[in-house]
Amino acid sequence: MNKQRLLLPIVLLGCIAALLGGLSLFWFLTSNAWNFFQSFGISALWQTEWYPYEDLYGFLPAILGTLWALCIAMLVAIPCGLAAAIVSSELLPNTWQSIARLSMEILAGIPSVVYGLIGLWVLLPFLQEHLNLLTGHSLLAAGLILSLMILPTIMLMAQDALDSVSQEQREAALNLGLDWNQLLIRILLPQAWPGIRSGLLLALGRGLGETMAVMLVVGSLDRIPQPFYNILEPAQTLTSRIGREMGEAAFGSMHFAALITCGLVLAVFATIISLSAQRKGSIA
Amino acid sequence: MKYMLVLLAIPALLLPAACLIYIVYQALPALDVDLIFGSDAVVIGVNSVGQALWSQISGSLLMMSLACLLAMPMAASIALFHAFWASHKQKKLLTSILQVLQGIPPIVYGLCGLVVLVHLLHWGISLAAGAVILSIIILPLLASNTIHALERIPLEQTESALSLGLSKVSVITRVWMPQAWPSFLTGLLLSMARALSETAPILFTATVFSGITWPDSIFSPVTSLQTHIFYLAQEGSNEQAIHTAWASAVVLLTLVLIFSLTALYLRRYERIS
Repeated sequence: MNKQRLLLPIVLLGCIAALLGGLSLFWFLTSNAWNFFQSFGISALWQTEWYPYEDLYGFLPAILGTLWALCIAMLVAIPCGLAAAIVSSELLPNTWQSIARLSMEILAGIPSVVYGLIGLWVLLPFLQEHLNLLTGHSLLAAGLILSLMILPTIMLMAQDALDSVSQEQREAALNLGLDWNQLLIRILLPQAWPGIRSGLLLALGRGLGETMAVMLVVGSLDRIPQPFYNILEPAQTLTSRIGREMGEAAFGSMHFAALITCGLVLAVFATIISLSAQRKGSIA
Repeated sequence: MKYMLVLLAIPALLLPAACLIYIVYQALPALDVDLIFGSDAVVIGVNSVGQALWSQISGSLLMMSLACLLAMPMAASIALFHAFWASHKQKKLLTSILQVLQGIPPIVYGLCGLVVLVHLLHWGISLAAGAVILSIIILPLLASNTIHALERIPLEQTESALSLGLSKVSVITRVWMPQAWPSFLTGLLLSMARALSETAPILFTATVFSGITWPDSIFSPVTSLQTHIFYLAQEGSNEQAIHTAWASAVVLLTLVLIFSLTALYLRRYERIS
């Protein structure tokens, strides 16, 4: 009886602690960003100069860098990941399928800093040699290493979605005389699409928030590439800026508030991505 | 079409093995027992003297277990609230909040932790700050895993247990725990692997490069394997340091894989039985 009465207060205590943690996080983000916007105005978001020592805080280079890195990563990872999922779930025999799954799960478990190590000591020398770059630090490198990191997410989710299409549907389609291409495009992909889509959005979110690997290879240069589609130049992403400058910005300074505003921008992007994943997912 | 897909898939399917083999190959020159358990200071880097990796390993594991200890009660109470008291609307809201929190980049949590824990509460760069930050990072994952584990238990069992007059506590200990412990454990192991692999949020809030074998109190900084790799990776021209970095990567990878592969095994075991 005593235990009975204790359960509800304990549960409520735990929930309130979690809630307080979440709320205080939100409050600190917004209050610091509010201070920043009061001194510099909302236009800081699309100004192009970032020199903390001269009080110039423009977010555009980092936002553009983040978008470019994500675009490259998705362009590489989506075709490869989907193809790998289709091949392993439709063409490979069962044993190989589970080996492919296991290896992808291992790839998903590799910590981001190890990817950074791979990027720094394998990818950069490679790019440097083959593209005649100065050091190899570039948006392209960041995009490629990100694509490696989000590949398992895309592939595993797509494979789950394809596996959940029932076997009868495949047999019925083949009986109707559809060939393999038609089966894939008309039957399998439309049915698996909700799962594939949420995998893609999850991967997008992961790529957005990745710090260590990107920070090691992107070069951390606060400048918009010239011209803006030049992905071979070193650049900056939102996460790498926070990671690089978090240690050196003095606490309480405008610089620090600007970094927190970067964090807020990241959090807003991430929230939009995960909300859109939920919304459409429930309709389909 | 088929051949094009196979052609696209081959690199993706071969990459994991290639990555693993390459990491181990690079680590081989530095990988031996002395590196991990050796007591003498090993000189790595031009200007840095690091100890054997043992202190980094213990620091990482210590931080991970503290984070899990903090996150577990919170996750359990969220899941219990979800199971017993929440209305349908509240359940939907709760899962959607958890998903949003899970999507927020870890570095944002790290930044907030730096402001609140390290500076405003004057904890300094400390084990406690790192553990709290990591626990908040893994909380959404752990909570949603626990909720899913509870949802997989057939509703009839819970209802018949409750209608037999069992109290909520005994439903938890007598009906749920014996049946669903593999899925609880899976969730816990996955969050442990996650906590071990996060680097960015603890870089400026909990860790230093070297000099600490075992933290004196929870308010002193620690060394961790993740950040060790990061510092060594930037040791540009030094062959030995890079090999040590790869070796640390192998050690970290082994630890993470122990947790996540056990989780996968448990999940499969549960599906079969």
